[in-house]
Amino acid sequence: MPHAPEVNGRQVFTGLRVVDLSRWVAGEYATKLFADFGADVVKVEKPGSGSRSRHWALVPGEQPDPEANPLFLHLNTNKRSIAVDLHSAEGVELVKRLIARSDAVIESFRPGHLERLGLGPDVLRESNPRLVVTRISPFGQSGPYRDREATGIVLQAAGGPMNATGDAHRAPQRKPGLLEQYTIGRTAGEATLAGLYHARRTGTGSTIDVSGQEVLLSSADRRASYLVTAAYSGVNAPRGVRSAHRGQSTFTGPFRAADGFVMIYITNQEFWNRLIRLIGADDEAFRAKFLDRPQLGDDWPAFMSYLKAWFAARPKIQIMEAAEAARIPCTAYLQMDELYDHPHFRGRGAFVTADHPVAGRLDYFGAPWRMRDGFQLRRTAPRLGEHTAEVTAELEMSVVRP
Amino acid sequence: MTDQSLPLAGIRVVDLTVVWSGPGSTALLGDLGAEVIRVEGNNRVSRQASAKLTNAGVANAGWSRNSYPDGKPEPRPYDRTALFNWHARNKLAACMNLETPEGHEAALKLIAISDVLVENNTNGVLEKLGLGHETLLELNPRLIVARMPPLGMTGPMSNYLGYGPNFNSLVGIAAMDGYEGEPPDSAGENYHMDESAPAALAFAVLAALWDREATGRGGLVEVAQAENVMQDIGEFFLDFQMNHRLPQVLGNTDPGLLQDAFRAAEDDRWVVVSIRDDRDWAAFAGVVGGVVSSVVGSVVGEADWLDRGRTAADRRTNSRALRDGIAAWCAGLPSDEIVARLQEARVPAGEVMSELRLLADRHLAERGWFKERTHPAVGTYRYPGHPWRADGFDLAYGRPLPGFGQDNEYVYKQLLGYDDETYDDLVARRLITEEQFA
Repeated sequence: MPHAPEVNGRQVFTGLRVVDLSRWVAGEYATKLFADFGADVVKVEKPGSGSRSRHWALVPGEQPDPEANPLFLHLNTNKRSIAVDLHSAEGVELVKRLIARSDAVIESFRPGHLERLGLGPDVLRESNPRLVVTRISPFGQSGPYRDREATGIVLQAAGGPMNATGDAHRAPQRKPGLLEQYTIGRTAGEATLAGLYHARRTGTGSTIDVSGQEVLLSSADRRASYLVTAAYSGVNAPRGVRSAHRGQSTFTGPFRAADGFVMIYITNQEFWNRLIRLIGADDEAFRAKFLDRPQLGDDWPAFMSYLKAWFAARPKIQIMEAAEAARIPCTAYLQMDELYDHPHFRGRGAFVTADHPVAGRLDYFGAPWRMRDGFQLRRTAPRLGEHTAEVTAELEMSVVRP
Repeated sequence: MTDQSLPLAGIRVVDLTVVWSGPGSTALLGDLGAEVIRVEGNNRVSRQASAKLTNAGVANAGWSRNSYPDGKPEPRPYDRTALFNWHARNKLAACMNLETPEGHEAALKLIAISDVLVENNTNGVLEKLGLGHETLLELNPRLIVARMPPLGMTGPMSNYLGYGPNFNSLVGIAAMDGYEGEPPDSAGENYHMDESAPAALAFAVLAALWDREATGRGGLVEVAQAENVMQDIGEFFLDFQMNHRLPQVLGNTDPGLLQDAFRAAEDDRWVVVSIRDDRDWAAFAGVVGGVVSSVVGSVVGEADWLDRGRTAADRRTNSRALRDGIAAWCAGLPSDEIVARLQEARVPAGEVMSELRLLADRHLAERGWFKERTHPAVGTYRYPGHPWRADGFDLAYGRPLPGFGQDNEYVYKQLLGYDDETYDDLVARRLITEEQFA
């Protein structure tokens, strides 16, 4: 039996229409936030090849089916797709008419490209004064680096805390996957909604400039606090120091367990004492030596080798559960297979099952947060141009927005 | 108090957040013009800095002393720490000890006239204080209560202790993090959960406010931070189901690109270079040029190394050797020259920017990104700017921080209507103070 998502009436963004002109993760994640909470998001794709996210490869040289790329499937739930050639007059005209009937547009072309297509914010906002136009780019729509080329690692180098990440005597280390893109996209979504809220109150739209670099520079992953520190004291954040802001009285980091890794965060004396009691439960001499010590000295290596041996002898889940029972922040590293079967997330309904005509039945990540009339998986990601005829017909009939 | 033209003008937010992701969230609401009032007890350390810190005491605290201007926490360390001041722009601060009857009463009065409450305490803390969301929504049905428990408010692990990196580990991010081909414990620090929560919380609160315009009702918003951050690796979760494989530790490399971080000629100065396609490689080869290429080639051991990266298949097969060649070329040049020459050829490249280099950066200067602000407890310094900007409405960037208790009179007398006598009594009993004791 096909597994069709259960659709329940109204969602918070029911009645909003957002046009997605983006072709990569940041823009597609920004519009996904609207689609998943009820907006009609129409994705404008290049005929033939479609969005870049249809061609993402996890393994070098791999060429996944553009209709079943995991990245595209994840980022484009609940959207409609139209295939439109933006280099043709008809295509531009169609998109203009669509945008005239929409509340927001999100784009991530190179700065200036939208204007060259005849779809610049001034043109779009003239025919639709309440429109919010959100522009995502690596370095913003102005300034000497506006036209610089960037990939994810270039963005992390320019904006993220990369200079302070990794070992002191080795290369700076970027964060994995496409994480920086999601941060930029989520922020672009927040900015767009702020613009929509403003338009709702005042009747006036806006053009929003999201510089990926500036999003990352203002971030809570310590980059912003490192910048304040540099302004206050004239020093850079160090690489290879864990929890630099917290000073020497704490220790944090990964440790090797018998079957994987755990992450421990000892940030105060209380956690420290609990840890000493846990790993020294059967060793009175150890407890006597290390309890109530705010800082270690020459005995640090001895302590560390004791701790490492204790971790290495035990499975990660057992360590995590013992640590939690003792109220110590220490968690296991899980992989995708373990996450998939995880009783906590499964039990909370964090995954939603749905069928896709090409990819088949899959579990998708569900609500990023929970609220009344919030997240629903109404439909899986669209096939390229699946809704071209439908949307064109709606526009030809000049259907008033729902 | 706020500019009426801002998107959230007239929206009042009670801010009970601590540490990183929560305060980062309320900062975004303040940017939009909401009146964000931090409620802080004078018997608690709610700004990550104890009142007891001294200049002498932090002298041996390693790098962390730099969080205070010129390494000096005195006087008023809680007004002078970068751990608070990075997110404190636009916020107000009122002293309220929530576990006392007087503080509890004031909090309820404030919540009754507010639109939003944000908190990221351990599950159950608000309930113990008699401020659980059910109580508050009964008091003020238009209130939006945004709670940020890392693993949610329900479920077998909902009470687990942990910080951002703990939950990064649990959802699978840490397992992907590390130096290329090495185990994941080779990674540096990764606070991605803290990075991902603020915009989610702000979006969620805006969505709830949007909904309130239609329904007239507030409600609970539960931002389980782990479930939010896991969205950022959703492709790997689907790929596991479709292709039965797990993500690998790739370091600075990427499956679709030839890229890495390379040392430039200056001391501890690094650049990143990405080659996306054949055009990029040809452009890169053009920049390196024939003579230099053979010099680099003699280092790499292959004079014709630039010929070995022409196609995607070549770049995969020869990835290590090509990156050695790029490394040898970069090692002889200043970072500015590497970046300028490659960007001129439209090859993605950039310096791994240190904080001091960013403070001196001409692009950010031209965009007016850093904001110079003055506060009597700290002095005049530059602060990180907004994450985005709009043509159509302004964002707020007023006072850089509230001193502890700086807005006591405004909150108690103007907002809550306390008369002088009641207020002075609370001051005399040290329940309202302009200093933190903890």
